[in-house]
Amino acid sequence: MAESKAVLDIAHGVPPVSVSQTSTRVNKTGSWKYIRPLYRDRVAPCNQGCPVGIDIEGYMNLLREGRVDEARDLVLRENPLPATTGRVCYHPCESSCNRASFDQPVAIHAVERMLGDLALGKSAAPALAKRAETVGVIGSGPAGLACAYHLARLGYGVTVYEAEREPGGVLRWGIPEYRLPKAILASEVGRIRDLGVTFRTSTHVGRDVTLAELGLHDAVFAATGVHKSRELGIPGETLTGVWRGLDLLRAVNAGERPQLGKRVVVVGGGNTAMDCARTALRLGAEVTVLYRRSRAEMPANHEEVEAALHEGARFSFLTLPIEVTGDPREVDVDPLRAIEDTFGQFDRSSEEPRVSAVLCARMELGEPDASGRRAPRRIEHGEFRIVCDTVVTALGEEAETDYLPTELHGGAIRVTALGETSRTALFAGGDLLEEPHTVAFALGSGKRAAIGIDHYLRMKAGEAGAEVELGELKLGPEGNLSMTRWRADDPVARVNPVNEVVKVTDLNLSQFGHARRAEDVLRPAWETRHDFLEANLGLPREDAMAEARRCFNCAVCNGCEVCLIFCPDVSISRRDDGKFDIAYDYCKGCGLCAAECPRGAITMTREGL
Amino acid sequence: MKKVIVGNHAVSWGVSLARAEVIAAYPITPQTQIVEELAEMCDDGRLAAKFIKVESEHSAMAACIGASATGVRAFTATSSQGLLLMHELLHWAGLGRLPIVMADINRAVAPGWNIWTDQNDTLAQRDTGWVQLYCENNQEVLDTTIQAFALAEKLSLPVMIVLDAFFLSHTSEPVDIPSPAEVDAFLPRRDAALKLDTRDPHAFGALTTPAVYMEMRKRQQEAFDQVPETLRLIDADWDRRFGRSWGAVESYRTSDADTVLVTSGTITSTARYVINERRERGEKVGLVKIKMFRPFPTEPLRRALAGIPKVAVLDRNISPGHGGIFAEELRSALYDLPSARRPRVDGYVLGLGGRDVTPEVIGECLDATRGNDSSANAREDLWVGVKP
Repeated sequence: MAESKAVLDIAHGVPPVSVSQTSTRVNKTGSWKYIRPLYRDRVAPCNQGCPVGIDIEGYMNLLREGRVDEARDLVLRENPLPATTGRVCYHPCESSCNRASFDQPVAIHAVERMLGDLALGKSAAPALAKRAETVGVIGSGPAGLACAYHLARLGYGVTVYEAEREPGGVLRWGIPEYRLPKAILASEVGRIRDLGVTFRTSTHVGRDVTLAELGLHDAVFAATGVHKSRELGIPGETLTGVWRGLDLLRAVNAGERPQLGKRVVVVGGGNTAMDCARTALRLGAEVTVLYRRSRAEMPANHEEVEAALHEGARFSFLTLPIEVTGDPREVDVDPLRAIEDTFGQFDRSSEEPRVSAVLCARMELGEPDASGRRAPRRIEHGEFRIVCDTVVTALGEEAETDYLPTELHGGAIRVTALGETSRTALFAGGDLLEEPHTVAFALGSGKRAAIGIDHYLRMKAGEAGAEVELGELKLGPEGNLSMTRWRADDPVARVNPVNEVVKVTDLNLSQFGHARRAEDVLRPAWETRHDFLEANLGLPREDAMAEARRCFNCAVCNGCEVCLIFCPDVSISRRDDGKFDIAYDYCKGCGLCAAECPRGAITMTREGL
Repeated sequence: MKKVIVGNHAVSWGVSLARAEVIAAYPITPQTQIVEELAEMCDDGRLAAKFIKVESEHSAMAACIGASATGVRAFTATSSQGLLLMHELLHWAGLGRLPIVMADINRAVAPGWNIWTDQNDTLAQRDTGWVQLYCENNQEVLDTTIQAFALAEKLSLPVMIVLDAFFLSHTSEPVDIPSPAEVDAFLPRRDAALKLDTRDPHAFGALTTPAVYMEMRKRQQEAFDQVPETLRLIDADWDRRFGRSWGAVESYRTSDADTVLVTSGTITSTARYVINERRERGEKVGLVKIKMFRPFPTEPLRRALAGIPKVAVLDRNISPGHGGIFAEELRSALYDLPSARRPRVDGYVLGLGGRDVTPEVIGECLDATRGNDSSANAREDLWVGVKP
């Protein structure tokens, strides 16, 4: 114990207090501890929850620091189409956001949309060195675009084969303009083109070229998606006025404005059905959506259903169409409406028999089926008729895989953890796989295959071993692969990273204040239902930045200094790089820093281990 | 600038003008308004201080001790049970010679639970090494708050400013608020000779052996001995700048008095009213107000009361088993006056737990003392207005 100098020289203005004469540094109280704190960056749940595998936490933190350009570039490392996903992705990241347990999840989609819009017209960092190998990508939907983008950035020559006359796949031909303006998509595709990717459009693999001809490439990625609409399988399906949902969306996306008549029935409860319903509304129709189960079982995204409702779509649940009937027309048409019809756009003078009504059966819900949802079954004598001019079917889609080797036909294609099919050098992704058919999963599968192809070609060239530490490439044990980790050039400085996801119970919520989530600016439904202009305007920039500040920055030390303030032994100090040092000679292992850390970035470990 | 503010906010304004740098506090009625206002001042930028939220008064004082040891100006406020919970750390601040300033709103001690005014909370802390200044009105509160920092830092002693619950804490009065520039000229930034520096760590409050502990205590006593003169100079400087002074002890109409009331806190204002009334009736009565209780102003009181035949001390407090605390301390202060000039001191215990002390109650005490011609001190204090 240091000796005290109780009597100090008061002549020099020093009050007589008990202060040790020697420095207390000699007393290494750190020897008392049996556990020690360690800064260990973990993984935020949003990062694991993003099927694309974007470092969401990373860009939120950069935005918090006002480093907007770096945040934008961080997104572009993993996602070639942030302006697109910011609009159309159903943001599973937000479902895993820890803030949901506190007030409301961070509006990640809106922040990504802001970054995506800031990235429009900006190029992505090109490859540092070109490689000799080339890769053929079949299909230019999100999976194909992602694979091409990442491969080009890895230095490969990439040719994309697209059957349609413009690239984009389901983004271009499936998703309506009011959800994703064509100009946005074209700009993002342009960024991929600028990386040197060649697009061979109007080239149908299997018809215009064969898969064998693509053998000139060193590897091939197949991502042709699903675009064959399932049939209703009921009488009357071939009548004029019955549309397949994807055909309707494709026609409208091509600039056509088909005349659907006054009353349109859409069959189905998925996102395609919602797209069809909202498109038909914009073509001037009254729309009724038929779904055989109830609202709760609808596979469509909640926001899409809400938008359809607001725009005036009606829903007839527990309704199964059993027959489409044609002329002669039913007579129970509202006489006024019938007169209107004669002046309307719809030309009734056609000779062909045309849809006049759908005969439906009333359903009820029984026991849960294999999907876990309650199975619908018909109620006896529950038949009724819905008068209509057009029927649009949206019962899901199937893949056309005729162009692929026969062993890959029939059902979803199985691929390895790096996206390779059972055929060497042939990789697959997007909706051809069994994963959820969403843009985000497609983008993620394209990136995964790009890593797989890079690994395969490097292994073939003798530059890499067969072993890939998949666990270390994943954003969390369940997450998608990270291109940044694959390339090992993370711009975010991480401290002792461990691949485990931070739960809300790992956070110190007392460090956060409640703040309302900003809601997207929606144009009024009475306006949007009359045009194809974008319906959801996203967030104003300042609101998006405020959302970034709502982010807890789970799992990664962001230099907030809470540990430094709470350390009772003054053993934590800030380094020049913004991170912290712990003076273990004096840290007594009390654990306050780990308990107080707002984001679970400090772990207590056993001393000596 | 004149503003009509409650006593609590007079403290807040004083602390703000004194540019306190660290404020740590825990809410308790009737003090809470003080730190609420300060928290808002910190939040909206009017005051550049770190406001530390804590989980108890013990921690509030601990935070102030740590902050003050690093050389910054620290403030807290509390009341009653909160002050009692701080007790251990009040000693630490006192012997640590840390110039912390604290406002305590005098509130009765539980049980029974009582939020009204009573001096037992602060008087129970009289031996902790804190200067104690009891205020009478809101202007005095504001002025004393700023003066307290000057006094504390001059002598390295913590200072407690004491206000009556509700009668002062929640009563609005016009207060002249000096400009920041004027206060800055009066009270420069704290310049601590000894600072806790984490880059050169030393143990503060380290083991102190019998060989030196007593010297430490003696230095503390010597510092207290300097308080009356130091406060007089500070008050005179204040008077020169702002035209107001308060004094450690104030005599009111005592020059020819045969009976004098001795009061503290807001009872003083009521007593002034009674004295004025009695003077109009020709009664030779006066008043002595004790503002400074620690250090006890022995010399000023001897000067003020020597030769006055009868003194009535009004104590809003009780030391169970002994009596009214001001009366006891006053008796010992006057003990060695020559017997011819030594007043008889009557003690009255009244107003405990916030019971109203009206002009009638004070008049009763005055009459009892004037009407009693015994020359000996009464053996027991009189409890006023107690139901049988």
